Amino acid sequence: MRLYDYVLSPSCYKVRLMAALSGVKLEIRPVDFHPGAEHRGPELMALNPGGSIPILEDGDLILTESSAMLGYLAAKAAPAWLGSGAPEETARIQQWLSFSHRLTASLGGARLHEMLLRPGDIGALQANGIAALRELEAGLFEQKMRGNRFLACDRPTIADIACFPYVALAPDGGVSLDPYPTIRLWSRALRSLDNFIEMPGIHRLHELKPEPRPCPDEA
Amino acid sequence: MLSDKTDTWVPVALSQDLPTGQAMPARTLAGPIALWRSQSGRLAASADRCPHRGMRLSHGFVRGEALSCIYHGWTYSQAGRCLRIPAHPSLTPPETIRVATRSVEEAGGIVWVADGEPDGKPPLFEGYVPLRSLTVRAGGSALSAATGTKAAVEGFVWRAPGAPAIRLLPVPQETGETLIHVLVPADCGVSERVAASRAAESLRRMAERIEAKEAVP
Repeated sequence: MRLYDYVLSPSCYKVRLMAALSGVKLEIRPVDFHPGAEHRGPELMALNPGGSIPILEDGDLILTESSAMLGYLAAKAAPAWLGSGAPEETARIQQWLSFSHRLTASLGGARLHEMLLRPGDIGALQANGIAALRELEAGLFEQKMRGNRFLACDRPTIADIACFPYVALAPDGGVSLDPYPTIRLWSRALRSLDNFIEMPGIHRLHELKPEPRPCPDEA
Repeated sequence: MLSDKTDTWVPVALSQDLPTGQAMPARTLAGPIALWRSQSGRLAASADRCPHRGMRLSHGFVRGEALSCIYHGWTYSQAGRCLRIPAHPSLTPPETIRVATRSVEEAGGIVWVADGEPDGKPPLFEGYVPLRSLTVRAGGSALSAATGTKAAVEGFVWRAPGAPAIRLLPVPQETGETLIHVLVPADCGVSERVAASRAAESLRRMAERIEAKEAVP
């Protein structure tokens, strides 16, 4: 399975993270997204005429939407990440998968504006990002009242992975995460999972690892 | 509204939002603070700035009874003293390296912080339990207009259609925003808690609409 990948892309990170959590080995093909705009070049446009990354290629199957990639990885290697199949749980997963596109458009747009100087109305992007974060905070709070730590149920699903990266990187776009205590607890729960991997800007929880000590000959 | 005197307890967060071994950001009128709870459950509050390179300590991590900065690992005690500098493992940091701390108390599931040394204990709200905290981009007058009740020091009770009577604890921020802690009657079930949370969201929309109108000349 080959992932056309850019290390600073939160959408690409969703796929790398899901693969790590479900134990799938990916062949990583780095794409010069910035400044080379390789995703708009003839080789990648032939794979994905939409001109976006990530692209996941597995034999004849070419996926260009990250939510579909999460579903594919989970179905292949870790079906528990697709939920139990109960109607309400299935609906919540679909609800938050669709919602995740609003995070990409708002918080992701603000991040591109601030980091790569992409044109856009930064005030509107940030305001839409805050509206989405408030919805997520309220949704997670209601789930907590129902005894669920995650978006669809009491275990993480592909919906959590779809929403997590753009939320965690909101400060890159000038949107503070300070006002959202329930999002903070949810983010910690995700970063505490076995086989969690980092990306630049999203660090692991140091306290879960033993305290580093100097080697005896260095001390 | 709560007094802005520095020797007054300010409710900055809910206990449930700060489990053991974690740190979180909060604010008092004197500025941003790092709030953290040690492995043994002890609360501490310090200025949200590492004296080394200025990184926010609320981004840091808790091991045992100490808070470490995420940037270079400088480690601080609950009293604010620097205990360890990882790049100089054999050095005992001088006593002059420290972060300013704040008084902190926990009462009825709410974390209270004071910039000075208040005489009494923080208040208790008999019969109520904390539900959630949310930040409103509006000040006290918009909030009073939205609820039809004066936003008072000790909080005030507000009833929205279809939701239980909730107690709101408004905390003015120096940004002009208001942090609101929502409390519900202790005997509320899950559906009433969800209804109370949704009522608080509606109140925020109302108050922000009023605030936006007032801002237009």
